[in-house]
Amino acid sequence: MTSIPRQAIEILRRDLRRELRTGEVLWVTIPFGAIALLLIPLAVGTDIPLLRSLGPGIYWVVVLLFGVLVAMRRSGADNQAQRDFLALSGLDPAARFVGQATANALLLLGFELVLGVVSIALYDSSLTGWPWLLLILPIAAAGLALLGTLAAHIVESLGGATALVPLLVAPLSVPLLLGATQSMEALRLGRSILGWLLVMLIVMLTLAIAGILTARPLQEAQ
Amino acid sequence: MTRTYLQIAAIGTMVTALAAGLLVPADAVQGDVGRLMYVHVPGAWLAYLSFLVTLTASVAFLFTRKLRWDRIAVSSAEIGVYFTGLTIALGMIWAKPIWGVWWTWDARLILTAVMFFVYLGYLALRKTMTDPIVRAKRSAVFGILAAVQIPIVHFSVEWWRSLHQPATIIRPDASPQIDPPLFAALMMGVAAFTVAYVALMAVRIELARVDEAIDAAHNSNAVVAGDAVGRPNLKVEIHD
Repeated sequence: MTSIPRQAIEILRRDLRRELRTGEVLWVTIPFGAIALLLIPLAVGTDIPLLRSLGPGIYWVVVLLFGVLVAMRRSGADNQAQRDFLALSGLDPAARFVGQATANALLLLGFELVLGVVSIALYDSSLTGWPWLLLILPIAAAGLALLGTLAAHIVESLGGATALVPLLVAPLSVPLLLGATQSMEALRLGRSILGWLLVMLIVMLTLAIAGILTARPLQEAQ
Repeated sequence: MTRTYLQIAAIGTMVTALAAGLLVPADAVQGDVGRLMYVHVPGAWLAYLSFLVTLTASVAFLFTRKLRWDRIAVSSAEIGVYFTGLTIALGMIWAKPIWGVWWTWDARLILTAVMFFVYLGYLALRKTMTDPIVRAKRSAVFGILAAVQIPIVHFSVEWWRSLHQPATIIRPDASPQIDPPLFAALMMGVAAFTVAYVALMAVRIELARVDEAIDAAHNSNAVVAGDAVGRPNLKVEIHD
């Protein structure tokens, strides 16, 4: 029996290896998000000053809505037999949650970075206060990953999970969306963003605690 | 018998609250449209109450694993969703003559709509599961997670610059900002809605219990009333 952090690292490595082999995020989710960034101006208008002001908001909405697909990706690859095997091997459910959420957070961070470059190229967005992005992007990625992983665990092996996860995640991701967009707006106006960072951190910690504490009851409900 | 008394009490308090709402003087600024608040505010209160009960019952289920807590959680969430919908609809009817629009991008409005969708998700999640234990465990986790919305919705008018008026009664400075007769009518509405909630809960919990009994009977292949129509091909063994 290995320690919980060691188990979580093994799950993280497994999920990242799986992504390396399948390229689901790289070849499906990222292009899908990039297409959304490309299509939205066709609907709202291709006026450059308008897009420059809407760009950060559009970017975060696309990240939050399409980022859910990153957390759902694992649901398609996992099967009940594999989950039963892991449980019988003595894998702690909390370690499984932490490992999967961390893998999802890393993949989401990559997703955010690539879409960020696309967004800057398409919308000519301002990069005022860009060093703060080194904090905003990982916190938003971690928050969304925790939320998506928790929702994916709740609906695991259920019929209709593909439609349910976005329905459960999208409304609950509102504090993250507000935190991220308002931080960008505050940076643009030269104001402090610490309050919004704190909101995102609180959401992230709450989700982490909820995910760890409920991992066992959710595993028992398989 | 208790349920009948509760229903009578609910109807009685509703009629009294309706009379109070119609008899108090009209709001000095909003006129008669302001009377919608005697239904809108109690509806919002009931939505909070319902979702807080869902949270408490979800936590209690995870600790005790007793299905009666799950019945309370789902019954309360369902009633909460109806009353959140009612609150939004009445708010929109009020907003048109007062604000000039049915809907505006205000923090309270958006977050209340978000809360509505969060609990619709809770009910949708339950529909995907048939095993009562599995359903109860997974729903309890989501029921706890969903409750994060409640304080955010309530305090949104304090935290953000909002077109929606700040809280009138439950305020950070604990001083209600309303004239006594109007306050009395509002409180009667709140009391009436609370009694109605208890009456609805009693009926809905009983329905949930009957639903579970029917599911259990179906799963065990036992015969229940209505099988001749619902499951005509069921082979029944008759024992003397």
